[in-house]
Amino acid sequence: MLGPLDPLINFILEPYFFSPFIYPGLTIGLVVLLTLIWAERKMAAKVQLRYGPLYVSKQIGGALQMIADALRFFFQEPIIPRQVDKIVFLATPALALTVTVLPFIFIPAAPSYVGVAVSYSLPLVLALGALIPVVIILMAWGANNKFTLVGGIREAFMTVGYEVALFISAFAAALYYKTLDLSVMVEKQASLGLPGIIINPIAGFVFFVAMLMASSKLPFDIVEGEQEIVAGPFTEYSGILYGLVMGASYLYLYVLMLVFVEMFLSGWLPVIHGLGSIYPALGGVMLFVKTYILLLFAVFLRGVYGRYRLDQALSLGWRRLVPLSLIAALWSFGLLIAGV
Amino acid sequence: MTSQGSRSSETDMGYGPGTIKEPGFRYRPMGRDAEGMELYEIFIGPQHPASGHMRIVVRLDGDIIVNADPDIGYVHRTMEKLSETREYLKSIPLFERATIIDSANITWPYVRAVEQMLGVEAPLRAKYLRTLLAEINRISSHLYGFGLTGIFINHSTMYMWSFGDREIWVQLAEELTGARLTHTYIIPGGVRRDLPQGFKEKALKAIRYMERRLEDYMKIFVYNPVTVARFREVGVLTKNDASRLGIVGPNLRASGVHYDARIAEKYGAYPELDFEIPVMEEGDSLARLLVRIEEIKQSMRIIKQVLDKMPQGPFFADKYMRLIPPALRKHVAETGRIKLPGAFIRLKPPAGEAVARGEMGHGEVFYHIVSTGDTKPYRVRIITPAFRNVVLFRHLTRGARFMDLPVIYGSIDYFPPEGDR
Repeated sequence: MLGPLDPLINFILEPYFFSPFIYPGLTIGLVVLLTLIWAERKMAAKVQLRYGPLYVSKQIGGALQMIADALRFFFQEPIIPRQVDKIVFLATPALALTVTVLPFIFIPAAPSYVGVAVSYSLPLVLALGALIPVVIILMAWGANNKFTLVGGIREAFMTVGYEVALFISAFAAALYYKTLDLSVMVEKQASLGLPGIIINPIAGFVFFVAMLMASSKLPFDIVEGEQEIVAGPFTEYSGILYGLVMGASYLYLYVLMLVFVEMFLSGWLPVIHGLGSIYPALGGVMLFVKTYILLLFAVFLRGVYGRYRLDQALSLGWRRLVPLSLIAALWSFGLLIAGV
Repeated sequence: MTSQGSRSSETDMGYGPGTIKEPGFRYRPMGRDAEGMELYEIFIGPQHPASGHMRIVVRLDGDIIVNADPDIGYVHRTMEKLSETREYLKSIPLFERATIIDSANITWPYVRAVEQMLGVEAPLRAKYLRTLLAEINRISSHLYGFGLTGIFINHSTMYMWSFGDREIWVQLAEELTGARLTHTYIIPGGVRRDLPQGFKEKALKAIRYMERRLEDYMKIFVYNPVTVARFREVGVLTKNDASRLGIVGPNLRASGVHYDARIAEKYGAYPELDFEIPVMEEGDSLARLLVRIEEIKQSMRIIKQVLDKMPQGPFFADKYMRLIPPALRKHVAETGRIKLPGAFIRLKPPAGEAVARGEMGHGEVFYHIVSTGDTKPYRVRIITPAFRNVVLFRHLTRGARFMDLPVIYGSIDYFPPEGDR
């Protein structure tokens, strides 16, 4: 029997919809956003001998605090300053979120489950991610404020600092797998029985650090640099517009972390077949588990580190990470030559 | 000021690189650099997450600070003038509010200057008690500075830790004086209260805790690779410049000058105590942090000695004790708490002048009091350490990177209300 809602449900369950909008995409991304920020604040609080979020839903440790914050963002008046370029000012937060969410279409979530199957998913995801700095620089320029402008310039500098290392280390890993398809990479790791981080640890390390720089997490939250430039490119934003741009940076970390897990931590392996028989995407739940644990680690760094200076981060990028990523490429090449 | 048309030239604006001639500094016209590119001017503060109570006008050439001008005075409360309108005793709570985190140290030299004019000397026990509170205050002042330094490089753990641990010392001060911050403990003739019962155990416990915590601080903050990268060789103050600019306190000692008003002035119980003045040669921001860490250790050493050596005897000068009615005097002897006699407010130092200085957490504070023989001073001049150190904003930031500004701010431990008075 064909119910009236069946076409809709079928449409939702199609990979090209389910992948970007449900899992691993926007819906789960929102859950990650809400829980991760809460966990970040809770963990930092634990280190810092305090409670963290508490008063919203006291019984469950203030876990609903982020929902309360999100609601507040929604109902706060978004102030549009007079001097801004209105169209750019309003469009860029949405644009930033869009380019952050788009890569979900190409990130495989489970064996033979991907929104749009292309054999170049790795460069596609990274290329879409590389658009975010462009949007942020546009945002900084459009807001027409001294602090945003400095923030935008910092974003530009940081981009040239990490992007090269990020791409080379990713391709160094891909070189060994002899593919640019993330699904095939996971299969390769399955057939080798080894996660990529053991095959090429240098590439994994460089990718992880470059990832922290890309998503402006401590110790590289230079673009937002509150103590010098208020909130960097986001200074003029308030209300939901601010919520969008802040959320985008966490979502981007989530995207890159998914890629990291698929390239270096054998992705969704081991497959949970029980869940996979309900719906194919659910079989790859281990991908999410690994990603989430690493995300927790990434945000935990807030409790340990301060912020690097811009030129120090750049010199870390160019003097340490780029040479290391080249070594990682040579390493992969050497492994291929040796036929390991 | 010339014509209105040429306001962009720096001399017209009253500040800029031309106003202080630094040897070795290349003169640059304000507003444009050597290639004719405009300098980028950023106003940090007073409504800014990190400026707090002041404004810093920063002129940038790319990422390099050409000039950073501290614009102070936002929390100026005319304390010197106000003190002329009130009796000597009433000025103590007023001056406390200049540096509320270090209120014993900022009022102690004032009280000593008043005592000089009155010809009164505090009993030995009172001197020990004053020293005790002064060192407790010094520790909490340094911890406050540490917390701000931490948050200036977004190290929120250091911020929370040191503000949390400062609470221990604030509570200890409360135990001793009855007030958390504005103690008004040191008064002409002695102190307001005797040592409470069981204070020694509590203080020793706090010291043991703090010694353990300082090791944690070193691990997570001071020797954290990020902190070292940010602080080492940043904002270097040479020994020569430090003495030439009249810098005081830990900032001076971090540049290799062995000077401390506690040693130079020999007040309180300090001459009888065994402690060191930490000095470092590097003069960079990291050295300024490390000197403060060492000072906390030395302060704890002083507190231990004070508690061991505390002499028996009165804690309030006999001359004023006699003003208290006999029944009340008995009460004071039993509880160890002074009920100030009403006549005490009308202290009348003979006409004359007195000066006194003392070492606060931030550096040396200096008082000059002029009396006309009235119950109110004719003039009180306060030179606070923050005011003497504020020049460092301009001096140390020149040629530094923009992101060094918070580091330099944090490391010189500037406290705006103290600078503005």
